[in-house]
Amino acid sequence: MKKTLILLAASAALAFGGEQFSMSDADRAMYAEMLESNPAEMFVAGGADLLEEHCGGDAGLAKFLDVSEEKLPEYIAGFPRYVKKLEGVVALDQVLQALMAQNKQKPFALKSAEMFAMSAYAKSIANDVEINIDVTANAPMKKAYALGKEVYETKRGGRGLACLSCHSSDVIGSILRTQPLPDLGDAESNSGGTWPAYRMTKSSLTTIQKRFQGCMQNALLAVIPLGSEEMVALEVYITNLGKGNAIAIPGLKR
Amino acid sequence: MGKVKSLIKIKPNKYNTGDIVKVDFMVMHPMETGMRTDKQTGKLVPADYINEVKFFFNDALITNMSVWETVSTNPVFTINFKVPSEGTLKVVFKDNKGSTNEQSTKIKPKG
Amino acid sequence: MQRRSFIKGFGVVLAASAVVPVTMMAEEAKKAPVQSPNKMNIDSAIKAITGGKALVPSSKIEFKAPEIAENGAVVPVKITVESPMTKDDYVKAIHILAKKNGNVRCTDIFLTPANGTAHFATRIKLGETQDILVIAQMSDGTFLSATQNVKVTIGGCG
Repeated sequence: MKKTLILLAASAALAFGGEQFSMSDADRAMYAEMLESNPAEMFVAGGADLLEEHCGGDAGLAKFLDVSEEKLPEYIAGFPRYVKKLEGVVALDQVLQALMAQNKQKPFALKSAEMFAMSAYAKSIANDVEINIDVTANAPMKKAYALGKEVYETKRGGRGLACLSCHSSDVIGSILRTQPLPDLGDAESNSGGTWPAYRMTKSSLTTIQKRFQGCMQNALLAVIPLGSEEMVALEVYITNLGKGNAIAIPGLKR
Repeated sequence: MGKVKSLIKIKPNKYNTGDIVKVDFMVMHPMETGMRTDKQTGKLVPADYINEVKFFFNDALITNMSVWETVSTNPVFTINFKVPSEGTLKVVFKDNKGSTNEQSTKIKPKG
Repeated sequence: MQRRSFIKGFGVVLAASAVVPVTMMAEEAKKAPVQSPNKMNIDSAIKAITGGKALVPSSKIEFKAPEIAENGAVVPVKITVESPMTKDDYVKAIHILAKKNGNVRCTDIFLTPANGTAHFATRIKLGETQDILVIAQMSDGTFLSATQNVKVTIGGCG
């Protein structure tokens, strides 16, 4: 009897806590409105200058990817993708690294602010285009997708958590510290289409892979390196969750 | 006097003379409070913040702001402006260390 | 295969090291208070603005801030003051004060009729849950005010 009461009390407290500390729709709308004046726009403008200086701008990127400038936005909307020249499935920042190397320059590190800005600009070339990643396009993409799914679903670390632990359809919408757990693939979160984004908690522009690392760190999972096969695969998997959503760079995140 | 990145945005994109438009002014700036400790050195990071922002239209002062370190990093300031004619909107901003920068944009009403 | 190591191999080391909850880190930070170089309390700040004149709470000020801020470092505030904004009748200034910050002053915005509407928005830092006070100085010499409480939390994960 006593046990039941405690259980009831505990669950009631949880439910109440969830109610009490979740943000109101009005508050959330106010935060959403901040997207109209996103400080990341300054970073992206800087990224355009960097692309011009180091990679020959949009034209240089299109040439490197063997597509016409006209087709470039649609092509970018399919990243991460298999790039034959690079013999693998790569994210856009890795393409920029290869392009810089080809231009006899020391490539920006994947974790550098310069690369965040430049890759954000490069992805913004595809703004308003729908994500068109094709995970069945070829064997490497199929493999990357399968690996990404594995990374997403494999429980790791001291607490035995997987990405899926907080983002499965069973728990989406539950409140975790005032915030509802997001559906990464829906149009609102649009994880595939809104990174690189400005993170208010960091006051800077950051990439989706860097965000994954933050998530892993907080959940006590060993952090997977940027640009590694697993990390790119995870980006493939999550981008595919939101296939069809329009790209809108830079995003603005909590 | 280092160049500080900044951006002015006028919304909506198209407007007429006499319309009231929204002016967003954003600056890339750390807005250091002087209360934060550098994790590497263990020392306080000196206060470093925008302390004045002035909006001019064709050199006439429209809005003047005193700003403190309590404003967020990479600040965004939004005001309204009633478009009187074609001209130049200029923002002059200073920081507490005495450096001055400016940014400007053309105001081009359609009618 | 090398790659297996990322997913299955790691983790063991981390499991042993306990993680300090964010709330505890916040407590930690409170232990060594560093004073703001521009420290000013709310009474002094109000007096400096009004010169001792009364503040009149008014519904002419539409003041929007979140009831719950998900991150104290970036709290949006939005203010519109009802006024014709003519030469004879306009809002001279809008002042934003965060009552419990070391330096309560955030911004003082001095407007002119050229603004068309008395509107201002920005994002401010809040050290803790507190009231935000907005003072509008009108051209007739009166001071209107509006207040809203903002609860500061650390929302979401990371």
